[in-house]
Amino acid sequence: KIKLGHPSELPPEPLPNYEEDEEFLRRLHHVLLEVEVLEGALRCPDSGRRFPISKGVPNMLLTEDEA
Amino acid sequence: RVFSSEVDWVSGKVFFRAAAGPGELRRLRSGERLFLLLKKHRPLPVSGNKGKMLHEIKSLVIEEPKHWLDIISVWRKLCGHKEKTDDVSQENTLTLKRKSEEETNTASKRQKTEQVRALVSEECQVEAGERCVAPERMSSQECWIENKNSSEFPSKGGGEDPTANEKLSFSFRVSCRCSGAIAKILNPQEIGRAIGIALVKQCGWRADLRDPDLEIFVHLNDIHSVVGIPLFRLPLANREYIKTAGLRSTVAWAMASLAEISAGALVLDPMCGLGTILLEAAKEWPEACYWGADISDSQLEGADGNIRTAGLMDKIELLKASVKALPLPSESFDSVISDIPFGKKFKITNDAQLLPAILQEMERVLRVGGTIVLLLSQDLRKRVDGLAECAGSDSPEAAADGDSGAAAAEALSVDGNSSPVAQGVGESFLRRRRFRSLVPAGVHAVSLGKTDAFIYKYRKVCAAGAW
Repeated sequence: KIKLGHPSELPPEPLPNYEEDEEFLRRLHHVLLEVEVLEGALRCPDSGRRFPISKGVPNMLLTEDEA
Repeated sequence: RVFSSEVDWVSGKVFFRAAAGPGELRRLRSGERLFLLLKKHRPLPVSGNKGKMLHEIKSLVIEEPKHWLDIISVWRKLCGHKEKTDDVSQENTLTLKRKSEEETNTASKRQKTEQVRALVSEECQVEAGERCVAPERMSSQECWIENKNSSEFPSKGGGEDPTANEKLSFSFRVSCRCSGAIAKILNPQEIGRAIGIALVKQCGWRADLRDPDLEIFVHLNDIHSVVGIPLFRLPLANREYIKTAGLRSTVAWAMASLAEISAGALVLDPMCGLGTILLEAAKEWPEACYWGADISDSQLEGADGNIRTAGLMDKIELLKASVKALPLPSESFDSVISDIPFGKKFKITNDAQLLPAILQEMERVLRVGGTIVLLLSQDLRKRVDGLAECAGSDSPEAAADGDSGAAAAEALSVDGNSSPVAQGVGESFLRRRRFRSLVPAGVHAVSLGKTDAFIYKYRKVCAAGAW
């Protein structure tokens, strides 16, 4: 799930027949391959743990307890 | 790469013949510097008489002036179109400095000793001599842009005249290196000076120790006597795409080439630092995906800068992560390549103690059939080898001091029962730790200038839990 606050928003889930939806595919391609997140965060879907992204590099160091 | 014939090598040098243009030669990746070979002879006979020795050396190097004329014109044609400005006599035409030493008479060349036959025959490395480039090739290149410098030799006094004829003076420097029996009689400075004086007398050139047009390299040792001139102003090892240098690019390239990177491969450097290995690999094998991880912000910033300078943003992905706990799925990478930090420069303490944990994570993220290529210091390598000793080895080689050319070991059966005598010691270490899935696939000694290091290669032959 990608929140961008960006004009090329994606639907929360792929619609059926998404392979044929040009517009969707274009947006997906854009988000996957053309967008570089400089500041933001990654979120683990299971634990909810946030990994901040700074200058394009996600910080995935674990704390003492997590490791 | 340059389709060379007559390849021959000794420790630290590779000699070859190729009919390739400078552009192609420039793309050689694992050599530090490239020279045009002028002479290669048997070692000079050594006598106790200094004067006699100097005479011998001079007769080796000195030739008819016409000969030097030819050499110079060949050299100029090769470098001519590389120079930004055409005026050879102008000092500092190039703003980038040469990596070569400041000390004038000793050529401190950093060489990489290549022990692997396959690698050497594939690529021409280190110092290479190129003889007799086919003349047709050369004339088809762009002709020298320098028009003011004719190839006539200036008269002896030409160099001193600042107004007229200043363009005609040609400056040179002799860099001499000697070892072995000769070194006991003469030192490089004496030799360099003697040759220099003789050349000035014979050819009328000007000696310039600071920034000569041409540097003549003379290497005398017990194996051969070699005279050469550099083909390029900058060493091959300087990469225009690297902004901040870390590990030397030639070694990085060699490590990447050992990793067997194929199209679509995923390659990881979990201690990437400034990203040198990833940069060299991504430039040479662009059809793969590269990931780099490091715990240091400053290193990652440097790496990011390098990646942008090189234009490899879409090929190399960076993560701030620890090699002891990689946020990456198991068996997801085809290759793990890393220069394990060592030495006082790095903040990692007890890195030798960390070695097993580091290797464990590397092994985990590697898929079966994948390769691990590591650069280890002499100390680390002793640890790797020595751990086998502690565990009570069944191989007599395990305790042996690392020999610099341990040949590639054959893959063993996974339970480690078979143990041929000439076992690479890295294997024993792994067998005793939990890494039975990794088999050694070669050890190569390399020189990092002041120190030596070793490239260790492993292949994962089965899943981690399978033993």
